[in-house]
Amino acid sequence: MSLAAIIEVRRLNKVYDNGVHALKNVSFEARRGEFLVIIGLSGSGKSTLLRCINRLVEPTSGQVLLDGEDLTRLPTRELRLRRRRIGMVFQQFNLVKRKSVLMNVLSGRLGAMGATRSVLGLFSEADRARALECLDIVGLRDKASNRADELSGGQQQRVAIARTLMQDPDVLLADEPVASLDPATSHSVMKYLQTANRQFGKTILCNLHFLSLVREYGTRVIALRHGELVFEGAPDDIDEAWFKRIYGDEAVEVQID
Amino acid sequence: MEDRYAQNLAREKRRCFIEACVINGLILAYLFAAAAYLFFVFGPGLDKGAGLWGRLASVLGPLALILAPLWTRSPASPGRAFIERTNPFLKNLRRPSAGSWWLTFSGLTTLAVLALTVVLGWRLTEVQMRALFSADGIAGAGRIFSSLFQPNLSASILVATLQAMVVTIFIALLATMIAVPLAFVGSFFCARNLMRGSALSLTIYNALRLIFNFTRSIEPLIWAIIFSVWVGIGPFAGMLALMLHSVASLVKLYSEQIENIDPGPIEAIEATGASRVQVIWFAVVPQIVLPYLSFTIYRWDINIRMATVIGLVGGGGIGTLLMQYQGLAKWNEVGTMVITIALVVWAMDYLSARIREAIY
Repeated sequence: MSLAAIIEVRRLNKVYDNGVHALKNVSFEARRGEFLVIIGLSGSGKSTLLRCINRLVEPTSGQVLLDGEDLTRLPTRELRLRRRRIGMVFQQFNLVKRKSVLMNVLSGRLGAMGATRSVLGLFSEADRARALECLDIVGLRDKASNRADELSGGQQQRVAIARTLMQDPDVLLADEPVASLDPATSHSVMKYLQTANRQFGKTILCNLHFLSLVREYGTRVIALRHGELVFEGAPDDIDEAWFKRIYGDEAVEVQID
Repeated sequence: MEDRYAQNLAREKRRCFIEACVINGLILAYLFAAAAYLFFVFGPGLDKGAGLWGRLASVLGPLALILAPLWTRSPASPGRAFIERTNPFLKNLRRPSAGSWWLTFSGLTTLAVLALTVVLGWRLTEVQMRALFSADGIAGAGRIFSSLFQPNLSASILVATLQAMVVTIFIALLATMIAVPLAFVGSFFCARNLMRGSALSLTIYNALRLIFNFTRSIEPLIWAIIFSVWVGIGPFAGMLALMLHSVASLVKLYSEQIENIDPGPIEAIEATGASRVQVIWFAVVPQIVLPYLSFTIYRWDINIRMATVIGLVGGGGIGTLLMQYQGLAKWNEVGTMVITIALVVWAMDYLSARIREAIY
């Protein structure tokens, strides 16, 4: 394992209960501070891969190392402590819709709080101030007291990014963060992920569909096809031939701008 | 790993075939038994001795045993359709059938089962059209009806009726209020999506489901009889009966609500490193509060109606009063109570509908 690696995935396999073999011996590493993009068709195992890293999905075999420590064998309590260091952003935003934007951002702190204090809603003044700062970073401070479901899709995703900034992880997993958004909004959300990467030094592992976004934001790319890792390299290395290998011969590249 | 999929698939196919065979066999057995019974009842006057039953069973039994596996080879047979649709391996392999299903053997058998059930039911419930339309019967019912619509509105009866009605309303209120917190806590342990984590939690889930299903399957009327022996006849027995049944019913409604929530926020909160309690409080509870309120008001509405019925078997309140006057055949007084109950139930029904509308 190289010194620069913060996440290392070794020979990871996932077989779902219904027999679907979603990941086949996938090995790669994510280096500290990089914006690693994972591409592949729908159903190629991208989401499963990200969810195996923080064990929202239990891997069938293989290892996931965070700073050299294997997460796959940790008991629940230990796992929770490591999860604090791995934030996550989802395609469907996954905000708690009926709660305020501020409360959604504050929930990023739950991993670091006692159960009683959090259930009673006793977030410290420092936490509240920090939550407002995080909202400020994504440009939504004035929406703090709105209900989460009053916001547009792009705004909800920015709140989700603020939630992970509140969590202050070392690694940020982004599962198709812009797949439910229109092109203009997609760029705004990607920009905030870039901010998290460049300004706050978060290592990012991001699933994306559009190669134009990959080339603009990614520093390195890996590609999955039918659960197997088929490409690892720089965004500009994906030429016509590689594109067809990853997406199939029928595929034609679509631009997003 | 590919072999593992093939192995699992083959194992599931075998298991499902056997389960489907049992179901198809039971359907055939029912079909044969019902047909044989009707043949004896309506058919030519055969010797109806036990010997004939035995002979018939010895022919039809093996026939069902042979037919069941043969029938199960068809994917359209009810057993396979039922089992495979709920099996994660096989449900995606099912293909919609082309053509008219009712012309297939499975379709015809299903129709035959339905037709036989109606005929059998008609016979077993002793339907008698002559009794329904007899002049004497209609006259008797008419007498009671006309008395019911000429209620006794004297002050003493009205006061007694209203007092009993207030007791009934409070039986329902107290039963609901005690049941809600118990059911709230219970529902989390009865929600499959929260409890499938470990073998221990799954055991708790199954045990609780069994207990609550059992409690719910016994009607409040029966519980009222049990409690009126336990704590004596009166409103307390009625309240306990309603409370127990409410807990069991609400747990079912509540936990189904939990099973239907959006799993996204749960993932998101889990990913922050939150504990089980925090995940439930921040990701589950906000999604269920309003449906819970709605179910609770609905249950209170049901309890008011049930409280009147429970009174009939010693649960106190207006039902008990009604039972006393009915025993004396004082139909005008009974009319006062029936009309009062109808008015209160209608008012509560309306109120509950309006409140639930406001919540959503």
